[in-house]
Amino acid sequence: MRDSIYIRLGLPLLVVCVVAGAGLAVTWTFTAPKIEAQAREAERTSLAAVRPAAATFEAVTDAGTLAKARAAAGDIGVDGVFRALDAAGQPAGVGVLVASRGYGGPIRMAVGLDRNGKVVGVTIVSMAETPGLGSKVVDDKSFLPRFNGLDSADAAKKVDTITGATKSSRGVRKGVEAALAAYAALGVAGGGSAK
Amino acid sequence: MKEFFKVLRNGLSLENPLTVLMIGLCSTLAVSTKFEGSLFMGIAVIFVLVMSNVLISAIRKFTPDEVRIPIFIVVIASFVTIVDLVLKGYFPSVYSFLGVWIPLIVVNCIVLGRAEAYAYHNGVVHSIADGIGMGLGYTIIIAGLAAFRELFGSGKLSFLGNTLVNFGAGYRGPNILLLFPGAFILFGLVIAGSHALNRRTARKEAV
Repeated sequence: MRDSIYIRLGLPLLVVCVVAGAGLAVTWTFTAPKIEAQAREAERTSLAAVRPAAATFEAVTDAGTLAKARAAAGDIGVDGVFRALDAAGQPAGVGVLVASRGYGGPIRMAVGLDRNGKVVGVTIVSMAETPGLGSKVVDDKSFLPRFNGLDSADAAKKVDTITGATKSSRGVRKGVEAALAAYAALGVAGGGSAK
Repeated sequence: MKEFFKVLRNGLSLENPLTVLMIGLCSTLAVSTKFEGSLFMGIAVIFVLVMSNVLISAIRKFTPDEVRIPIFIVVIASFVTIVDLVLKGYFPSVYSFLGVWIPLIVVNCIVLGRAEAYAYHNGVVHSIADGIGMGLGYTIIIAGLAAFRELFGSGKLSFLGNTLVNFGAGYRGPNILLLFPGAFILFGLVIAGSHALNRRTARKEAV
């Protein structure tokens, strides 16, 4: 009975793991659609707030375009690129979801640009900045609008950071710069041919 | 039943995990900047503690000594993952605030500590009492600390989108309260206070 120790110790461990795995699989089945919906919802509301006037967003799924946007954004992550189309179906601008680095973790934000490459609006999708300090980038209502109307990364660099939230505001600024760089690489049609 | 409440009370005062046993401090210091988030953190810890205590106590007779720690960890990690998924799906704002601290409950000393020190040697009912007591002891301290830090650090206290107290725009709180040094200093005061309280109760009971 040389094997018995493996069975004596291994079997309880195996049973516990199987039960735990099954329990998690069940929980996941219930929560996965909900989690997916929450993520979509957060992106949708953030994007809606930065939409060029009278336009609708359409996600860009072309891998080449996304790769181009990512290359232009450098070390800032690009989570998604959206093409804005006006009522006539003409390109009206671009929406970019970026994940910049803040003080407390990634700052996910949506940046909308109009057909001239000017920033229409910036919103924060999610972030983990220190409440009362880094969170001023959202609480200080005058901060995010400072980026509106800028049309180049150089201009964005000149936006003042908030006292006490230097790293957080720098993170937001980096995100906007990345979105502007992505726009510069893609053009108004959101990359490739305008349909 | 009397024993049940005695075990439960222990977690709150004489064996409070934070102020007496001094375990699980890491998340306490880091998360206690926002009342709402801390409260949910506390609820998450209570849930994980009670569930893992119950399960570990129920299977303690079939758990070989040599592999008990891996089994504890699997049980704890499963409940933490359940909490993680549920919060992500139903309370996204809370989830985005707590972030990495939810998965880190797995390595929270309180949960593994109670599994090893209590649930593994005691019956299911008492393990429930221990889980609730320890969890509440954790929640009360972390939520109280967070309420104080949020209120006096940022000048307002909000819960689920409602502002409960607001000192107005003129109030400029000491920033240190919201930063880590403030957490250490305040927590030191909390420990001192709770020890004084415990000593007084002990003296009263001795008389």
